[in-house]
Amino acid sequence: MSKKSISIKASALLASAALLFGVVGFISPASAAIDCTKATTSGDGCTVLTVNTFGDVIQPSLISAYRKLRPDIKLSIKKSDLDALNGTGLFTQCAANGAGNPDIAAVEISYSGFWRAYPQCFVDLRTLKNKANKSANDIKKDYLPWRWDQGVGYNDSVIGIPTDVGGLEVAYRWDLFKKAGLPYKRADVSKAWSTWDKFIAFGKKYVAKLTPAQKKANVGFMDNVGTIYPAVMNQGTEKYYRNDGTDQGKLVYKTNKNIRKAFDTTVAASKAAIGTRIGQFSSDWNVGMSKGTFAVMLSPAWMMDYIKGQAPDTKGKWDIADIPGGGGNQGGSQLTIPKGAKNQQEAWNFISWYLAPEQQLEVFQTYGLFPSTPSLYKNKELIGFKDPFFNNAPVGAIYADGVSKLKPIFEGKLQRCIDMAMGSAISLVANGKEKNPSKAFATGIAAADKCK
Amino acid sequence: MSQSAVVKTRESKPPSPWKPARPPKKLNNPNAVLSLNGRWGFLFTAPFFVMFLIFGLAPIIFSIVIAFFNYDALGTQEFIGTANFTELFADTRFWNALVNTVDIWLLSTIPMLIMSIGLAAVLHNPALRGSTFFRTILLVPNITSVLAIAIVFGQLFGRDFGMVNIIIGALGFEHVDFIQGTTSSHIAIASMIVWRWTGYNALIFLAAMLAIPGELYESASLDGAGKWKQFIYVTLPSLRNTITFVLIVGTIGGLQVFAEPLILGGSYNGGDSGQFSTLTLFLFEQAFVAYKWGYAAAIGIMITVIVAIVSVINFYITRKLAGDGK
Repeated sequence: MSKKSISIKASALLASAALLFGVVGFISPASAAIDCTKATTSGDGCTVLTVNTFGDVIQPSLISAYRKLRPDIKLSIKKSDLDALNGTGLFTQCAANGAGNPDIAAVEISYSGFWRAYPQCFVDLRTLKNKANKSANDIKKDYLPWRWDQGVGYNDSVIGIPTDVGGLEVAYRWDLFKKAGLPYKRADVSKAWSTWDKFIAFGKKYVAKLTPAQKKANVGFMDNVGTIYPAVMNQGTEKYYRNDGTDQGKLVYKTNKNIRKAFDTTVAASKAAIGTRIGQFSSDWNVGMSKGTFAVMLSPAWMMDYIKGQAPDTKGKWDIADIPGGGGNQGGSQLTIPKGAKNQQEAWNFISWYLAPEQQLEVFQTYGLFPSTPSLYKNKELIGFKDPFFNNAPVGAIYADGVSKLKPIFEGKLQRCIDMAMGSAISLVANGKEKNPSKAFATGIAAADKCK
Repeated sequence: MSQSAVVKTRESKPPSPWKPARPPKKLNNPNAVLSLNGRWGFLFTAPFFVMFLIFGLAPIIFSIVIAFFNYDALGTQEFIGTANFTELFADTRFWNALVNTVDIWLLSTIPMLIMSIGLAAVLHNPALRGSTFFRTILLVPNITSVLAIAIVFGQLFGRDFGMVNIIIGALGFEHVDFIQGTTSSHIAIASMIVWRWTGYNALIFLAAMLAIPGELYESASLDGAGKWKQFIYVTLPSLRNTITFVLIVGTIGGLQVFAEPLILGGSYNGGDSGQFSTLTLFLFEQAFVAYKWGYAAAIGIMITVIVAIVSVINFYITRKLAGDGK
C-alpha cells in the first residue's frame, strides 16, 4: 500500500531555502566550498545518488541531516506509485540488463517475495563495505530476523536491508466514541474489542447510534471492512505459502484455513454493515478522515503520519488502541541497490547510515515509521514516546508491543498477484456486489490460479 | 454576401500552413532537383524509417513472436504454439474487457460525434463574433494531461464528496456510487473522453465545413431549403469522409483507453469485479502484474485485429449512412 504525502513540497522548500541562504551569503566560506544542492549530474566534487521510492520511505528531515554529514552527496529522490516502482520499473530495467536503474530502489514487502526469486537483478550487499568497513553480513544482527530474510535472495545473496515494520493497530476517534456513549479510553476500547467478533459487535453499537441523516451521508464505523482481511491473515503463521525450507516455498492458498477465516471475518463485518465502503487512498477517504465519516481505521505505524497530513484539524481527537486478535503487520520496505547502479559504494554508505538504529529512532519520532531494529524496542526514548495528535497515546509502547507479538510469515513469488486476486474478491463482498461469500471466495481462488 | 465569399475571406485571414513553398532560388535548372531525388530522397526520409524500424516495426515483430511463447523476461522462455490464444479465447476477463471497451467507446463516441458536429456548425456561422477565440479554447481540453483530467474527474465522481453527487443529492436523489457500478463507471470514463476530444473533433469538422463549396448552399436556398434542411442535406453528406476519419481515429483511441480507468480505479484490475477493465488495462495487468509477456502480447495482437475489424465495419456503415449525399 502506498504512502503519499507532501514531502516532495517539503524537500523543494528545503532546497529553495538552502538556495536562498546560499545567495544571501549566510553560508560560511568553509562550508560553502562545496554546494551540491543544485547538482543534477555527478561531477565537480558532487555525487548525485538517484533514489526511486514511494511515499515517505526516505524522510525529508533525514535527507537534510545527511547533507550536513556529506555535503558532497546530493540525493535525487523520485517517487512513484508502488506497482509502477516495484512492478513495472524494476522489472523492465532488469530485463534491459540494468539500464536506467537508479542507485537505490525501495522494494515494498508485497513485492519482496517476488524479487527474492530474481537476485540477479540486484547488487549483493555482502560485497560492499561502508566507511566503518561493514558489509550486510556485519549489520545483520541489528535487524528483526524475519524482516531481514525478506531481503535475502534465493541464492542467499542479500538484496535489500529492511526499513520499517508496519506494525498494525487501530486508530479511532475517541470524541466520536464518547458521543455515541461507547467506551472511549484506550485501555477500555482495547479490552472491549479484544477479538474480531467483539470488534464487529462494537461497530454495530456505534452504527446503531448514528442519526438517519448521518446514515444517508454514508457515515459508518470504519473506513473499509476490506482492511480486516489482510489484518486477520497476518495474525496467522502462514498466508499463501508454506515455508517448507526451500527458497520458493509451497503454495497453500487453496488449503490454508486461515485464508478462509480471514475472508469470513471480513464477510461478517460486511454483513454487519459497519464499513463505509470508501476505498482507501481515494479522494472520499481523504476528505472523510477529517469529516468524521468513519471513526475507526486499521492503522499501520506509517499511517499515523498520513492521518496527520490529511486531517490536521482532528488533532487530539484520535487515539490508538490494540488491534483485535493481538498483533498485526502491514507494509514495510527494503532498500536495494539494483544491478547497473552507477554509484554503488555511495549508495551502500547511505543505506547503512539511513537504516542504522539511531536514524530509525529519529524517523519514528518524527514520522511514526516503526523501526525494524529490535535493540530500540527497549529504548526509553521509543517506549516513552507519546504523540499529542493521538491524544498523547504512548504510540511507542503500543506498536512495540504489537510488533513483538508478530509471527514471521513466509512470502513467496506470486504473493502480490494472489493478494490482488483475493482483494478483488473481498471487495466484491464488502461493496455488496456479491451476496454469496462462498461464490466470491471461489472467484478469488480461481483468479489466484491464473497467477501461475 | 454569398457563402463562397465568406468562405474565402475566412480562409485568407490566418496564413495557411499549407501555402506552397517558394521555389528554390539558386537552382536555375529545374531538372537538378529531379536528378537529386533518387539518392537524396532516401536520405531525407531515412530518419523516419530508422525510427520506425527501431520503435515501431521491431517491437511489433517481437510481440508477434513472443505471443507464441511462455515468456518470463527474467527467467526462461518456452515455445508453446497457440496456447496463449486458446487460453485467451476461454478467458472471461478478456471478453469482459472487450465488452467494457466497446461500451465505453459507444458511450463516448456517439455523444462526441453529435456534439462536435454541432459545435462546428455553431463556429461555422459567419455571424459568430470572436470565432478565433472559441476555436482556440476548444483545444484546451485536448492539450490538458490525461492524468490530470482523470484525477479531477475521479474526484468529481466521488461517492460522498464528489461534485456530481452533491448536485444529484441537492436534486433529492440518492447518491450514485459511480466507480462501483458497471454502467455508471463507464459513463464516468466516457465523460472524460468526450470532454477531451469534442473540441478537437469540432475543429476537424469545421475545417471540412469550410471546404464545402458555397454554390451548394446557394442552390439549396434557391430551392427553398432553410438552415436546418441545408445542414441535413448539404453539410452532413459533405462531411461523410470526415466522419469516417473521426470515427476511425476515435475507434483506435477508444479501443485503447487506458489512463482514464487506471486512475479512476487506482489499480490495474479495473474495479473489483473488473467492471471497467478495458483491453489495454488487461494487457498491462498481464504484462506487469502477472508478468506474462507472451499472454500480454497475444492480447495486443487481438486488440490490433479488433481495431481492424471495427474500422472496416465503421467504413461501410458511414458510407451507407451518408452514401446518397454525392
